[in-house]
Amino acid sequence: MTWVDVFDFLPFGKYAFYIWFSYLTAFGVVGFLFIRTTFIHKTIQKQLRNKYLREAK
Amino acid sequence: MWKWIQAFASPQNFYQISEKIIPWFLSPFIILTLLGLYWGLMVAPIDYQQGESYRIMFIHVPAAWMSMLVYLIMAIASGIGLIWQIKLANVVAKVSAPIGAAFTFLALITGAVWGKPMWGAWWVWDARLTSELILLFLYLAYMALNNAFDNPKTAAKASSVLAIIGLVNLPIIHYSVQWWNTLHQGVSLGINKVAIQDSDMLFALLLMATAFKFLYATLILLRARDEILFREQNTRWVKAVIMGDEK
Repeated sequence: MTWVDVFDFLPFGKYAFYIWFSYLTAFGVVGFLFIRTTFIHKTIQKQLRNKYLREAK
Repeated sequence: MWKWIQAFASPQNFYQISEKIIPWFLSPFIILTLLGLYWGLMVAPIDYQQGESYRIMFIHVPAAWMSMLVYLIMAIASGIGLIWQIKLANVVAKVSAPIGAAFTFLALITGAVWGKPMWGAWWVWDARLTSELILLFLYLAYMALNNAFDNPKTAAKASSVLAIIGLVNLPIIHYSVQWWNTLHQGVSLGINKVAIQDSDMLFALLLMATAFKFLYATLILLRARDEILFREQNTRWVKAVIMGDEK
């Protein structure tokens, strides 16, 4: 039994594995880009805030 | 116009404007993606040759277009940064690289997944696929070079030269299907040429392609905003922004 057979109950039958794999990968990539961007944003804010607080002391 | 560009290119103005316009790019991205997914997966009919498998096109083709468009923008921004020393241009080039690499990766993965049921192979050393893989390596090389220097100016100079030299790969990717005998299908959409005859298929493809452009605009604004904060950290306005956030 191949992955193609495992997923053929989904819409798009024998192509379900290929189609859903592609779309899920796309969601994963877009999600990763947003999560990474948010992480970078928070890290920079934290770094700069600590720097300014250190300088103020 | 030039005055407006100069004002917008100032890091402080760009930061303030980008804060306001990000939602105007994010909302259309979400709406167009949902509409494109509905149209592509539910409305568009089955292809007479490829059956249902062609629906991968609605992700694969926009991702491949974006991989080239982002590189073009990155190279133009690099050129502007190199010639006119505009800080914002270097920022745009730098933050475009990981986004472009992600689009290229997505185009390659979805292409492989589409290739398996159609060609019987995940990968072939075809001109289109190989040149797209070279594009991914160019993005990775640009990022590696940009991170190799501590001084942002030196990093921008070195990586800009690489980005401009790499431009030669774009026409190779685009015309590879015409110049060489390839397994990859010809141009889907071009000047005076529309290979997709069904209006629902075409509409879904255009929706997704437009959504990806809004996605790029959103991400570039988000990332450029942070890069500017980091580069301008010794200025008063950045301090005001950061310490203002804390209150």
